[in-house]
Amino acid sequence: MRSLLEYRELIRNLVVKDLKLKYRDSILGFLWSLANPLLLILVYSFVFGHILRGGPANFAYFLMVGILPWNFFAQSLMMSTGSILDNGSLIRKVALPMEVFPITTVLFNLAQFLLALVIFFPMSWLFFKVPVAWSWLNFFPIVVLQILFTLGLSFIFSTATVFFRDVRHFTEIFLTLLFWLTPIIYDAQLAPPLLKSVLYMNPFSYFILAYQDALYRNVFSSFEQWVVIMSLAVVFLAAGYMLFTACKSRFAEEA
Amino acid sequence: MAGEIQIKNVSKAFVIRHNKADSLKSKFIGSFYQRYREEKETLWALRDVSFKISAGEAFGLVGRNGSGKSTLLKVIAGIYPPTKGKVELPNGSRVATMIELGVGFHPELTGKENVFLGASIHGLSRREIEDIYHRVVKFSELDEFMDTPVKNYSSGMHARLGFALAVNLNPDVLLVDEILAVGDEPFQHKCKKQIDKFRADGKTIVFVSHSSQDVKNICDRACVLNHGSLIFLGKADEAIERYHETLDFAHR
Repeated sequence: MRSLLEYRELIRNLVVKDLKLKYRDSILGFLWSLANPLLLILVYSFVFGHILRGGPANFAYFLMVGILPWNFFAQSLMMSTGSILDNGSLIRKVALPMEVFPITTVLFNLAQFLLALVIFFPMSWLFFKVPVAWSWLNFFPIVVLQILFTLGLSFIFSTATVFFRDVRHFTEIFLTLLFWLTPIIYDAQLAPPLLKSVLYMNPFSYFILAYQDALYRNVFSSFEQWVVIMSLAVVFLAAGYMLFTACKSRFAEEA
Repeated sequence: MAGEIQIKNVSKAFVIRHNKADSLKSKFIGSFYQRYREEKETLWALRDVSFKISAGEAFGLVGRNGSGKSTLLKVIAGIYPPTKGKVELPNGSRVATMIELGVGFHPELTGKENVFLGASIHGLSRREIEDIYHRVVKFSELDEFMDTPVKNYSSGMHARLGFALAVNLNPDVLLVDEILAVGDEPFQHKCKKQIDKFRADGKTIVFVSHSSQDVKNICDRACVLNHGSLIFLGKADEAIERYHETLDFAHR
């Protein structure tokens, strides 16, 4: 079989297909994908900022910095549970490197994340008058590390669902819980001690903290923080890929 | 040489699970209650099959339903890993499978989009697809329908586009499973002509069919499989005779 690199045209076509199918025949098209984060930001900033009168300064912007990467992460994981299983009819008839499916899932969600980003950020910089800062440049390496981390987990979740169908339901509930254990709608520094100790066990917290440093607090993350997210990205990608390659020869029979 | 296939002591076992425990819940319950425990049964779809297909040969796989011929085709294609033994193909051989026409076609996409998607599923690069595109359209005779979503195609048109794509993938080895049974007579005629052209071009064809006539017409050599074992290997017409004997035996 030919290598994964030779299948980059397939990956591209699959991502484009998914994007096309999602927005074909809808008038607002891609604007729909902005509706969900926009609503979340409005609701949370109203409830926590105005009713409960809490939350960090410039709360709506703070929320946006956390919610957009979270959506990329959570939607990738949710979709990855079906990336092998839902392509079963294809896998049983054509020999192709099965890595393309989790990769496609992550890239499809990355595309949506980037599209949301180019709309939300310039608007909020104007609207909230956020000062321009060099730390914004850190955004790019953080995204790259998040992609690797998410891809690693997508390999794990797509493999697990082939053998245990209920991983799909588990993931849905697990992500709802994880959302609250990630410092997206509250400041990690101000969290009560119990919550604090839990959220530092959640690997995804470190990515959100890095985004907040770069875009909200406008500071450079510490060396230790970079080491943590780099290690997470490398370890999860390596572990996920090893699990995936160990199991992939059974996918055609099991999926 | 590209296109040569060596099948060495290939066995393939499928584990048939009764009461399949494919959720965590059923695994958990099964560990307490015998009644809900999954039972495994091993089914040998192929048993120690060995032979060689030379480059440029048209080779038939013949056998009754469940004899293992489609499984063997999938093992050659690399879709199923063999349980024992191995299949060797020279490095760089391009294998195309025609197990189903229009595999991976999406009904909402247009004919053109599907050709690009379908070709990339077989690992073609963008350039290679652009090179073959006009030939695919010409062969399918669906020129004016390329911008129509495939869901609006008749089943015949769908099959034509699928076949047109498959034959233009330009492989060294073509693995064909029962697809000549679809389409009307002119279409079947066209398919057969295309297979002859492949043979003339010196490509290897491995062909699974129930039609004795097709196997006799198309193949040089054939093998007969029975319950996963190779029971005959030789000239195509002799293989058909042997195959008919296994059928007669079953009827008696």
